[in-house]
Order: sequence, then structure tokens, then C-alpha cells
Amino acid sequence: MGNISSVLNIARDAIVANATALNVTGSNIANVNTPGYSMLVPEFGSSATGANNASQEEIGVQITSTERMNNKYLDAQEIQQEPNGAYSQAQLNLLNDVQSVFNESSGVGINDLLSQFWSAWSQVSTNPTDLTERDNLVSVSQSLASTFNQRAKELIQIQSGANSQISDTVTQLNGYLAQMADLNNQITEAESSGNVASSLEDQRYTLLQNISKIVQVNYNEDANGALNVYISNGRSLVDGSTVYKLGVQDNPNNSNYYDVVFQDTPTVAINANLQGGTLAGLLDVRDTEVAGYLNNLDNLAATIVNSVNTQHSSGYDLNGNVGGKFFSPAGVDSLVAAGGNTYAGTVTAGGAYTGTANKTYEVQIMSGGALGTATYEVSSDGGQTWGSTQTMPASGNITLGNGITLNFTAGTFNIGDVFNVNATYAASDMQVAPGVVADVTKIAASATVNQDGDNAGSIAAIQNDSSLMGGGMTIDNYYESLESKIGQDVSNAQNNNDQQTAILNQIENQRQSVSGVSLDEEMMNLIKYETAYNAAGRITEIANTMMGTLINLGIDTAITT
Amino acid sequence: MITRVTNQIMTDLLNNSMSTVDSQYNNLIEEMSSGKQVNSPSDNPIGFGQILNYRSGLAQISNYQNNISGNNSWLSSTESALSQVNDILTSIQTTAISQGSATATASTRQDAAASLQQQIEQIMSLANSKFENRYLFSGTNTDTAPFSATARSTTTIDATATPASGNTYRSTVNTSGTYTGTVNNTYVIKIVQGGALGTATYEVSSDGGKTWGKTTPTIPANGSTPIGDGITLTFPAGNFAANDVFTVKAYAAGYYNGNGEELSNEVNNGVTNNYSITGEEAFTNQGNGTVDIFTVLNDLQTALQNNDVTGITNQLDSLTNAGDQITRYTAQCGTRENNLTAASSVLTDMNTQLTTDDSNIEDADVAKLETNIQKQQLTLEAIYKTASDVEGMSILNFLK
Repeated sequence: MGNISSVLNIARDAIVANATALNVTGSNIANVNTPGYSMLVPEFGSSATGANNASQEEIGVQITSTERMNNKYLDAQEIQQEPNGAYSQAQLNLLNDVQSVFNESSGVGINDLLSQFWSAWSQVSTNPTDLTERDNLVSVSQSLASTFNQRAKELIQIQSGANSQISDTVTQLNGYLAQMADLNNQITEAESSGNVASSLEDQRYTLLQNISKIVQVNYNEDANGALNVYISNGRSLVDGSTVYKLGVQDNPNNSNYYDVVFQDTPTVAINANLQGGTLAGLLDVRDTEVAGYLNNLDNLAATIVNSVNTQHSSGYDLNGNVGGKFFSPAGVDSLVAAGGNTYAGTVTAGGAYTGTANKTYEVQIMSGGALGTATYEVSSDGGQTWGSTQTMPASGNITLGNGITLNFTAGTFNIGDVFNVNATYAASDMQVAPGVVADVTKIAASATVNQDGDNAGSIAAIQNDSSLMGGGMTIDNYYESLESKIGQDVSNAQNNNDQQTAILNQIENQRQSVSGVSLDEEMMNLIKYETAYNAAGRITEIANTMMGTLINLGIDTAITT
Repeated sequence: MITRVTNQIMTDLLNNSMSTVDSQYNNLIEEMSSGKQVNSPSDNPIGFGQILNYRSGLAQISNYQNNISGNNSWLSSTESALSQVNDILTSIQTTAISQGSATATASTRQDAAASLQQQIEQIMSLANSKFENRYLFSGTNTDTAPFSATARSTTTIDATATPASGNTYRSTVNTSGTYTGTVNNTYVIKIVQGGALGTATYEVSSDGGKTWGKTTPTIPANGSTPIGDGITLTFPAGNFAANDVFTVKAYAAGYYNGNGEELSNEVNNGVTNNYSITGEEAFTNQGNGTVDIFTVLNDLQTALQNNDVTGITNQLDSLTNAGDQITRYTAQCGTRENNLTAASSVLTDMNTQLTTDDSNIEDADVAKLETNIQKQQLTLEAIYKTASDVEGMSILNFLK
């Protein structure tokens, strides 16, 4: 048996529930453009909330829960794909920089200067006594050298740009990690007190997305609701509310560029453990692609310098002198004495490196003693193969080959003392010999002391020498293939990036399809809830009227009678 | 397949396709405005390498063409000098025949001798003519006048060796001995290992410093160093450094001061073109030459002056030979010019080929581009239209 007050109760429940649902719809509409927002759906449930005990005729309504619409599988897919997209994007940005430095489509650049260079030698060969032709040769050679310098410097600049981006990105990542730990705290607290922290979870997901753009991560949610994040070697970045921050560390073996490390173990580089994401993209471009181009450029410069110098020194200048160096030879780079060496004297590297490829020479002490007693072996491939054992001369001067000399001051060696010399020819150091620039008659254009010009002709013919760069390539070919390689790398990065963008768009659309807000839907819901709300109001009104009728029953009669 | 479409999906979709089509459209516009379909290495990585290769090839061809045109000018100067010499020789021959006949008298021969002197001077001046400030007929000694007015009666050696300007060793090096060679030659002595007399070692080249003798002897303590072909150098005490260079020129008898080396340069990859005629082959009996023209002419003049009929008629054969020798090398110029023309036409063909190849890769097909641009414009318009339609599409329009 129902009564009027229970009708009022039911109507009140309906008003409250539909008003709550309207609130949720309002939130959804408000967040239609909020990234990472997951649509909320109010779940209506029937309840028996009448004044008397529930009966079949008196069923009220309530919002049992507000569902956060998301699909863990799609979330996981997105987190998995984000690093690939960010990786290719980071690569593409840097490689585009490289390409714009090397874009010679307008016809200006090293390729053109090489043509001019060979042709200037040919002109000197035809007219070896004409100083104008020699002046022209020197100025073309200077342009060639300075373009090599500039290109190399620009590549180095791109590398150091990537380097500082790496450090900035690590700082940014640390910020995200700290926020993540913070959110973990708040979410576990909220959940332990039985609250639903849906907007915090949305925020945390966005954060996870940002983190996975920087580095590929694995993650899991523990029983307390905290999200734990790891990198590929299994080390934690975030464990509950604890953060393991990354840092950067100079690497002396890599031009003092940064290695990425954990701040708690700064000696262990984790570059190789960073897969996907902006960080790996930056590291790879810096240490693989751009370093490779730079190496190619160095090789090319070294080959030009050495082959021209060699031919030049077999000719005669305008004054009958044997040809000197046309290009300044490279200096010998850094010398590194191993840390554990017993030898306490000073070692100096000297001479001019005449090799073409970049090499690391290593001197190892085979039996200890003073100068004149100790013996040593030399490796020209960084310690893989060794020459014969020789005695350290009393003078302390030894030759390593390819023009490199070392001088040891007096001191005692011990077995196993090691000295490394990096011999490199850097494109950034390419330079026409100052003697030639100051006096163009020093160009050894002729093969004899007479002015035949044939030596200049032989130098011009280096252009067609296909034995210089390996693989049957001429100097020109080598540069052309470098350009092709850069183009190919950019094109690959572009394709990868397009592909990743497409994949991410696809996943994002699918996620949106589950979690996104549709205004049309919300409008329909709005009408639905509004109608229900109005209807419940109407019930109240009717119940009210009924109640009035009831209350006024007697009075009404009295009046009418 | 997406079953539930949200507002975000719709705008994302439109944004993405708009930016894709926009960038494609932009590329087409870039191609159209540059006229090239390869505007950066990544547009066609392999093609870009090829384009650079074609460009180097074209630059090289233009360099070879320059060489050819320079060589042609040199050869036509040579040809013109030689044919003028030939004309004069013919006229001298006529004179010689008439003065060798019985109708000529001592006085006509005197007159003829005087005019012959002028003709000899003309030939001398032609033989010493220059092209772009280099002597045409002195071999590779292009800065030395190839012929002197008076002959060396015997072989001669430079009195002192010429040191290179950068030598460490500073004393004057005298030469001695009698040159036993038959052609003009340049000897070069290069110090291999520095030091004093008795220590320093050297090597000798008899071709101007191109190739070297197999031995590296030590300069003796007394400084007296024979270098072959009868030539000896005497070095006063002093210190040598490696690569100190001393040059000694030795001359055969006669009028010629140049050498027998022809000038050459490349007119195609690996194709060397010798473009000069040496005075040695054209005017002397040394090396490839058979008649020493100036000796013949001077002998003829002496015979004319001395009214020596036998002397005059004796030179007639030699004069014919001299004319033949000049004609031969004039013709040689023609042959070389023909070779150059052939070489040049090969280069022109290569040039055309490379230009076509380059154009195939690099140049945009304007007609195709135009069509594509229109297609792309249509797509863009369709997207804009859709965007504006979608914009207005909301259930709100139907709710009051």
C-alpha cells in the first residue's frame, strides 16, 4: 500500500539522480577539448528508498557510480607507439637540419667547388707560367677548404645542438617523473579512502604519454593504484612515490658529449638501454648519423689533401723548387696516457698525420725499465693487432708510422703501460698551405724544372682516379654518395614519421571512440536527463496537489456546506 | 572501423587530411616554381647523387672544351707561323734556283744575299713567335726564346748550375766537361740526404726532374760530381739539405735553345693531347728533325755573298727538304686540329647526353604538374567544404 510521502521520496531521488547526471553531462561538455580526458558516464540504478520498507510499487533511482570510459588495451597500445613517433620526429628534425646544410640543389656547394678545383688545376696545367691562373687556383682551393670547414662545423653544431637537447629532455623527463610520483601518492590516498580519482587518472595517463614520448617505458599498476614505470633494462624510473631521476655525464671518449645516466649511478651510461622516444632519437642522430657524415667528410678531406699533396710534392714550382705541401697537413690529435700507467714522465705526440682514415694508435710496454731498456709494441688499429717488439731508444723518440712521432722524457716504464694516440684528419681543419697562399709561384705545376705544367695536369687527373675512396669511387663519387646517403636518411626518417603518425592517429581515434566526448550524445543526454528531471518535478507537483487535497479535505467541505 | 564518432575525431580527421594535402600541395608549388622535381636530396636520394654526378661531368666537359679551344688557338698560331715560314722558304728557293743559274752575276747574288738576310730574320722572328706570352716553338721551355741569331759551334753546358730559390746550399756550383749528347737537355740534381760534402747524397735526372737515376751516390769530399753525358759539377764546401735542387742545361750545337718536349693537356678523361710543335722537330736536325733550316739558310747566304755557284746549288736539295719539313709539321697542326674537332664532338655528344639525363631526373614535367596541382586544389576545396559543413553540423541546430 503506497502513500503520498513515498511518492515525494521517489520524486526527490529522481530529481537528485538526474541532476547529478546533468552535472556529469556538464563536465563532459566542458571537457570536450581537454586532452587525455575520459568521458564519464553516470550509471543509474534502481533502489527502494521509500519511507516504508521497499515494495514492488515503490522503486526509486540513484546514481550507483560514474564510469570513466577507457580501454586499458588501447591505452597500452598508445603508450607503446608514442616512443616510435617521438623517435622518428626527433630524428627527422635533426636530419632536416643536416639536409638544409647539404642541399646543393641550387648548384652551390662542395660538388661544384670540387669541379672548379679540378678545372683550376687543369687551367694551371695549360698555362703554368700565368700567375692569374695560379691566383685563381689558390682562391678556389681556399673556398673549397673553407666550405669543408664550414660543413664540418655545421655538423658539429647540429651534434652539440642535439647534445643540449638531450640534457634539456632529461630535465623535462625528471619533471614528469616527479609529477608521476606525486600523482601516484594522491591516487593511492584517494583510493584507500574509497574515492574515485578519475581526473587524477586522466592526468596520470597524459603524463605517461609525455614520458613515453621521451623514452620507451614499461609500466604496471600495483594493488594500491600506483603506476610503476621502468625502462627497457628493467630499472625503475618511478616506483610508487619514489623517483629515480636520470642525469647526463660528459663522455671524454665521445667528444665530451653527454651520456645519459641514472643520477644514483653516474658512471654507468644507459644510452643503449634507451629505446624509442626523443632521447634515443637525439642520441642516435648525434652518435650515428651525423657522426657518420662527419667521418665521411673527414675522410674525403683527408683523401683530397693527401692525394693532392703527394702529387704536388713530385713536381716543381715556378722557381725550380721541389713542390712542398699544397694543403696544410693535419696535426696529430689528442694523446691519452692510460690512467693506471706507472710511467710518470711526459709524452708528447708530434709530426703530421699522413694517413687518410681516422685511426687510433696504441703503444704498449712489453717489458719495463728506463729509456733504452724497456720494450714496446705498436698497434695502428686501436689494439687489435700488434707490430714487432722494439726497444725504447735512449732518446725517447719513437715513430708510430704515417708520420706520427712520440717523445718520452726519462722515466721508468712498467709492463702494461699503455699510450693512445688518436690520429684524425678533420675536415674542419682543411686549409691551403699558408706558404702557397702567400706566394703562388710555390705551386708545383710542372713535372720538370721546365714549365711543362704536367704536374698540375696530373693533379687535375686525380678527379678521375677511382682507386682513392674504395669501391671504385672517385673523390667526386664519394661526395655524391654522401649526399645520396643524407637524402636517403631524411627520406627514411620522413617515411617512418609519416607511418608512425598514421599509426598514432589510428590509435588515438580508437581511444577517442571509447573515451572521447561527443557533443551530440551529450546533448541527447541533456534532453534525456532534463526531461526526467522535469517529469520528477511534475510528480512532486502532483503529489503536492494530492497532499493539498488531502489536507484541505475537511476545510473544503466546510466551505462548500 | 570506428563505430562511435566524437567531435575530437572529426576535427582530428579533418586537420590531419588538411595538413597532409596542404603539404603535398606545397611540394607541387615548390616544384612548379623551381621547375625542378628534385629540390632537396631526400626528394630523390639516388637521383640527387646522379644529378651531382651529371653536374661534375658537365663541368669537366666544359673544362675539356676550354682546353680544346685553347689548344686550337695555339695550333692555329703555330700553323700560321709555319705556313708563313713555308712561303718565305719557297721564295728563297726560287731565288736560290735563279741565282744558281748562269744568268745570275756576282752583283745579283750580293743583292740576293742581302734580301736573304732579311728573310732569315723574318723566319727567325716567326720561329720565336709567342702565343699568350709563351714561345710557340721552345718545347716546354716556354719562357726562353727558342732560337738565337748565332749558332753554337759546339755543344755547350751552362757555366753554373741554377739553384732552386729555396735551396739551403748557397755556394755557386760551376760546371765543366764536354756535353756528349745530341739534343738540348735539362739535367736536375736533387739532394736526397742533406749534410756536408762527403756525406750528402743525391740523385740525377736527365729529363728535367721527371724520372731519376737508380743510384743515390754521395757527393765526394772534393765536391767534383760527374752527372753523366760528359757533364761534371763542382760543389764548393757547404751544407746541403734534402730536396735542394740544381738545374744544368746542356745544349747541342746549333741555333736551338728549347727542348724536345711537346706541351700537352687532357681533352677527355685519360686522353692526352700534345698540342705544341717543338722548334727541335720543325727547324733543326736534332731529335725528330732532319734539316737544320737556319744552317742551310746561313750557308746559302754565305755562298751568295761569296758568289759560290756550287755552294748555292748544293743548298737546293736541303732547301727542298727544309720546305718539306715545315710542310710536314704544318700538316701535323692540321691533323691535330682535326683530332681536337673529333674530341670536341665526342664531348658535345656527352654534353647532350648528360644534359638530357640530368633533365630527366631533375626537371619537373610541367604539364603533369599542372594537372596534379589542379587535382590537389580540388581535393583541398573538397576538404574545406567538408570542414565548413561539419562545423555547422550539430544536433544543437535542431534543438530549441
